[in-house]
Amino acid sequence: MVQSKVDENVRQRAHTDSVGNALWSVLRRSDTSVVLAALILFVLFSFSNSSFLTPFNLFNVSRTAALYVFVALGQAMVIVIGGMNLSLGAIGGLTVVVAGWCMDTMGWSPWIGVPAAMLAGTLCGMFNGFIIIKSRLNSFIVTLASLFIFTGLVQGISQGFPYSNIPKDFTMLGRDDFFGVPYLFIFAVIVLIALGYMFKFRVVGRRILATGGNLEAARLSGIRTDNIVFLSHTLSGVFAATAGLLWVSRMGSAQPSTGTDWLIISFAVAIIGGTALNGGEFSALGILASAIMLTLIKNGLIMLNVNVYFEQTFLGVIVLLAVSVESIRMSLDSRTKRTQTDTP
Amino acid sequence: MKKQQVKLFSMVMVVTLALTLLLAACAAPVAAPAAEEAAATEAAPAEAAAEQPVAAGDFKPVWYAPAPHPYFEDVRKGVEAYVAETGIAVEMQIGPDWTQDSQNQRMEALAANGFNAFAVYPADASGANGLYEELTAAGSHIINFGTSTAQPTTASFAVATDVKVAAMRATEELIKAMGGKGNIINVLEVLEDPNTALRKQGIEEVVAQYPDVTIIQEVAGMTSVETAVQKVGDALSANIDKVDGIIATGYTPSVAIAQVLGEYKSKDGARTIHAVGIDTDEIVMQAIKDGVMDGTIVQNPYGHGYLSLLLLQYLSEGYTPRADVYFVDAGFAYANQDNLETYSEDILAVTDQIKAELLDKYLEK
Repeated sequence: MVQSKVDENVRQRAHTDSVGNALWSVLRRSDTSVVLAALILFVLFSFSNSSFLTPFNLFNVSRTAALYVFVALGQAMVIVIGGMNLSLGAIGGLTVVVAGWCMDTMGWSPWIGVPAAMLAGTLCGMFNGFIIIKSRLNSFIVTLASLFIFTGLVQGISQGFPYSNIPKDFTMLGRDDFFGVPYLFIFAVIVLIALGYMFKFRVVGRRILATGGNLEAARLSGIRTDNIVFLSHTLSGVFAATAGLLWVSRMGSAQPSTGTDWLIISFAVAIIGGTALNGGEFSALGILASAIMLTLIKNGLIMLNVNVYFEQTFLGVIVLLAVSVESIRMSLDSRTKRTQTDTP
Repeated sequence: MKKQQVKLFSMVMVVTLALTLLLAACAAPVAAPAAEEAAATEAAPAEAAAEQPVAAGDFKPVWYAPAPHPYFEDVRKGVEAYVAETGIAVEMQIGPDWTQDSQNQRMEALAANGFNAFAVYPADASGANGLYEELTAAGSHIINFGTSTAQPTTASFAVATDVKVAAMRATEELIKAMGGKGNIINVLEVLEDPNTALRKQGIEEVVAQYPDVTIIQEVAGMTSVETAVQKVGDALSANIDKVDGIIATGYTPSVAIAQVLGEYKSKDGARTIHAVGIDTDEIVMQAIKDGVMDGTIVQNPYGHGYLSLLLLQYLSEGYTPRADVYFVDAGFAYANQDNLETYSEDILAVTDQIKAELLDKYLEK
């Protein structure tokens, strides 16, 4: 009888410990803080403005967040190998212009325009990757140069004119929804799941992370790091092109100015979302949460009707407060590690 | 790098460059239908004039825009009309970006090349004055088109829209469409532009005259159409149960309003929301045609180009600006569904009227 009670207590303690450990292991993840920050902001804005939870607003917020995801993925693909892509927005702009030129000026179907635009974006990414691995120059310098090249092409081809005659069918992805959830958001989630799987379970993903973690060690362990750098920049071009095309789909027109303000967003979403600036780490969940968080902040500032002249200040303060959740998490994490080390 | 790799690298570079140039060369004329139309009517004499060599001591005018933009293509039509009419060659340049630094470098190079009269859209309202001081000290004449530099300035004139008056007219039209009462969202463009403050002031002055009209929200910082679409969408979401009208006094937010309202109405948006914008982007004009927007303020870019060059010519002939005359109001028109087909004629008539008044009203000898 006594023995069975003891067994019961041991079982209960073990169960509590396992739940606690599971919870703690979730809290210790680097992307937990940004997920928490996004949730806190969501709750705060829900209470502060009755319009926040309207289907119209949630639809718009999730669409913008989805677009931020693709912009951030374009940057994350190169940050993860310890590089960067300053020409990301210009690649997006060039993609948009190529799509507009094909569909509006030439009157071609999206079945031709979209692959042509994707090809343009992919080639831009390949161009960056090729120059980087062959010249051994830093990605900052190479993509800075290609930023000018691609921007010049955008301006030269479009001469600043938007392309307005985009087939209505093409706006379906950017404007329609599935039971109230925008297709854009669903698409972003699917892509993130696929990338999360790739980085965790596929050889190519592990090799990308290894290259970003320590290029020399990766090379010595037999990874063809040049191929990985080339692949990362190509993927960056692919995601920039995807983001550009999705903007065209959402807008129903191809604006040559697309991409001009992507640089800050791409770095902010990727890095706040847990992509290590010096490479080797990637979090699909973190990028999604970070994109939602930044969109919520921008949306919330308008919802709260803040003074337009101080909007940027409020934006900065809220971003700082939101990312400070990560600082608290790290502090708790290190304290726990210390306690575990001290315990005999 | 191995010899073979160098060869491969060089080959790829050459092919990429060739493709790039080919793409740009193929696309440029097709992508600018408006410019092409203008070229069809005026290109022959304009090109002939542009090919004339610049002789020392002559009137050597330059038309300079900081970066490619649809507005500048419309202004260029006015410049091309001037060239066609007078036979005087004008060096037309469009810079690569909106920075004052680029503008300084390129205009200094043009001045060094002997050009002595400049019609310029200043990239930076304050920063351009430094450049202007140097050029006018060297004997050049400068005229701002589209906007003005900060005062005091050595530019002789600014040929532009009176932005405050235009904003007031747009507000009057919006309030009229709203039936004299309701709530307005005021969508400003970029706060760094001093004209934004004038537009805001104009809108607020008109709204103050209508006790039943309230500005319920202001949004700003429309650095691109993407940002503008997001912000206008957010502002609409925040006020969807109380907004009656949206006003935009900048090109980018006007396009964004057309996009967002069009989408709202296509999704059976129940609320009647009136909207007035500015400029004649194809998307805005289509929105007016479809009844999504009520109207738009049509500036006079043709006049901005034509009148600037004509004034520079008069200055080179020895005319001087009359005392206390600096701003040449190039006028504007309001386009809505009623005059969609005829508004461009209205605005041409404004140019002709100002042209006839130039010597009496703005210049003396």
